[in-house]
Amino acid sequence: MPIARALVAALALWTVTVTPAYAAPEGQLTWGVHITLAPTWFDPAETPNLITPYMVMYALHDSMVKAMPEHPMVPSLAESWKASPDGKTYEFTLRKNVKFHDGSPLTAEDVKYSFERYRGTAAKSLKERVASVETVGANQVRFKLKNPWPDFLTFYALSSGAGWIVPKKYVEKVGEDGYKKAPVGAGPYKFVSFNPGVELVFEAFDQYWRKSPSVKRLVFKMIPDETTRLAALKRGEIDIVYSIRGELAEELQRTPGLTLKPTIIQAPQWVAMLDQWDPKSPWHDRRVRLAANLVVDRNAINQAVTLGHSRITHSLIPSTFDFSWKPPAYKVDVAQAKKLMAEAGYANGFDAGDYYMDISYANVQEIVAGMLQQQLGIKTRMKNVERAAYWSGYTDKKYKNLAYTASGAFGNAATRLESFVVKGGPFVYGSYPDIDGLFAEQAAELDRKKREAILHKIQQLVHEKAMIIPIWELGFLNGQGQRVQESGLGLIPGHAYSAPYEDVRLKK
Amino acid sequence: MKKFILQRLTYSLISLFLLSLTIFLFVRLTGDPTVLLVEPGASKEDMAMIREQLGLDRSLAVQYASFVKDIVRGDFGKSFYYRTPVLELYLSRLPSSLFLAAAAMVFSLVIGIPSGIIAAVKVGKFWDNFGKVFALLGLSMPQFWVGLLLILFFSVYLGWLPSSGSGTIWHVIMPAFALGWFFAAAHMRITRSSMLEVLGSEYVKLARLKGLPEKRVIVKHALKNALIPVLTLAGINLVLMVNVAVVVETVFAWPGIGRLLYEGIAFRDFPVVQTTVLLSGSMIVVVNLVVDVLYAVIDPRIRLGA
Repeated sequence: MPIARALVAALALWTVTVTPAYAAPEGQLTWGVHITLAPTWFDPAETPNLITPYMVMYALHDSMVKAMPEHPMVPSLAESWKASPDGKTYEFTLRKNVKFHDGSPLTAEDVKYSFERYRGTAAKSLKERVASVETVGANQVRFKLKNPWPDFLTFYALSSGAGWIVPKKYVEKVGEDGYKKAPVGAGPYKFVSFNPGVELVFEAFDQYWRKSPSVKRLVFKMIPDETTRLAALKRGEIDIVYSIRGELAEELQRTPGLTLKPTIIQAPQWVAMLDQWDPKSPWHDRRVRLAANLVVDRNAINQAVTLGHSRITHSLIPSTFDFSWKPPAYKVDVAQAKKLMAEAGYANGFDAGDYYMDISYANVQEIVAGMLQQQLGIKTRMKNVERAAYWSGYTDKKYKNLAYTASGAFGNAATRLESFVVKGGPFVYGSYPDIDGLFAEQAAELDRKKREAILHKIQQLVHEKAMIIPIWELGFLNGQGQRVQESGLGLIPGHAYSAPYEDVRLKK
Repeated sequence: MKKFILQRLTYSLISLFLLSLTIFLFVRLTGDPTVLLVEPGASKEDMAMIREQLGLDRSLAVQYASFVKDIVRGDFGKSFYYRTPVLELYLSRLPSSLFLAAAAMVFSLVIGIPSGIIAAVKVGKFWDNFGKVFALLGLSMPQFWVGLLLILFFSVYLGWLPSSGSGTIWHVIMPAFALGWFFAAAHMRITRSSMLEVLGSEYVKLARLKGLPEKRVIVKHALKNALIPVLTLAGINLVLMVNVAVVVETVFAWPGIGRLLYEGIAFRDFPVVQTTVLLSGSMIVVVNLVVDVLYAVIDPRIRLGA
């Protein structure tokens, strides 16, 4: 009997001291989402370089390196990495004892397979620069590049799904279609069910390496109508709601028990003056471009459209991005703007032609167009285009005069400049040789400090030339209900949605 | 009779062929679906690759032939967006749509027919005018607006009903009302006009002359005949309720076929739009065929005329 007692006591002591001190996940959190979730977002191999799919990715999957609250590039599945001095080899050491949801261990072979399997839109540019991927034992992976590429890690881990790891054996067993129907990852939540267009359900994976999630079940309900989403939040049918704008956001703010949770996303918006390289265009004159910048009252637009929750940064590079540079602010100065217009020979304004805009943000662009006309007599004809067609027309170089521009793509200052400022970029209608030259210089620069200085210089030139009319970094307005302790909204700078999911909590 | 049925069947097949061709061509006028499947700025090679994967790089004639051939085999293709067989998606949404349509139909008939009868019997009086206003509102008020008002009043203000989604009997009440009001108004109008026509006919006058009680004249003699056009319309309306309740299903986040069609259009998901429209058209064609045949059975002049 004493022996039995001693055994029980020892067992109790062992339980207290050895068992990890976490509470089992419990409860359910329900989101009301504004968009239609797609099964391609369950599979990192097909993830587009957009913010939206990461709403799912952060729950279901994990990446070698990813943006987290503390830093934009935090080691996750990779415990550490090192680059060779010549910048042509990257070696990752994997975290030990990481498991996929099916219980299988995550190995270097899975990392290699996930890279090779990746076929998203960054696949070509990524793979053509990688010479080989080698596994070095079970826990190490070596990427050999054809040439030094300072942005390799940004592309691999942030701008593509290639660094988000899937289990090789499972994918090969169930096939591509089978994987989309029942995806298995290494993230904090396991896939439970997906009813297309209706809801997506996840359940906590208590063996997640970082920590066991606090909430047992996550449900994402697709509610396309904004008023209905807010009504569902008010009634407590959902706990967190995405995208509530304008007057509805004000109502949310006024409703007792509900909290408006704006997130500033890595999606600056600006107006591109596409004709500035045409010597016959008034926009060719820097004074005109500067004048336009001096009459756009960004704070007024911010108050009117996003209740003051957007961030006025005067740049096309998200302030959260690596290598971003903070330009001086454009203060509203109508008198100075008029003076500049008169000096340029446009004292009475001019007909600026077409102003192309994505219909989703027409409300913002209409205010900008109104300010240009009212203060400087710059007349425009607004051309509202449906979103997909808008971007397609933009990259097909079908536009002229003025165009609303924005980007929510992941990356750093260099990747953003490459797309929108430097010659050859998909959205570039013209460029400046000094900027192009500096860009080429930084692309070959392996010294981080020197590279940063060059990228800052480029951003400085963009500002000095008044190449764009920056508006803001968009404030994305969301709401949370009474049951929520931590919604995860805004934890990761620049990220639009709740994340990391293992940190979301219900009130006790 | 056999000849009549064969003729109607041929017409039905021609209608379906024309419908398939029309929807196939019209959906392609909405633009290139690949731009919605990639991020802005995607390379032309990537877009071409996706186009090839989806079979959109082939000529229209080849695409149409393949579409028809697959349909004949019962294969409606895979959704571009969901990457799931479209028929699977359609069938998963069908029960919700049938449930909503049935509830909305019950509501529309329960309200529409009695109010139509009362309006016809009390022509020019209060109930007739009330019915007219009710019908006018039902036909003219946008369904999304009615839906939002219902949500704000019954869900948010009173807290009686769930605001959206499906799953319980409580979920269907507001969508059924929002959807059914329009059709109740239509049913009320046709019941009224049909009743007025029947009430003015010779046999009803005779029934009255014979001294039958008014209630019996209306219910037994007039209503029976007046209901034929109402039920014909209700049959077609039921098909419409199942397939095209786009606005109501979107406002209430109701997981039905109307919302599937909306998503299909929004994402330029050609297989989803083609299948939804074609199956909805097939339902209408089948209902019409059945109605034609039934008419021919009842009235020999129709089949002999054919």
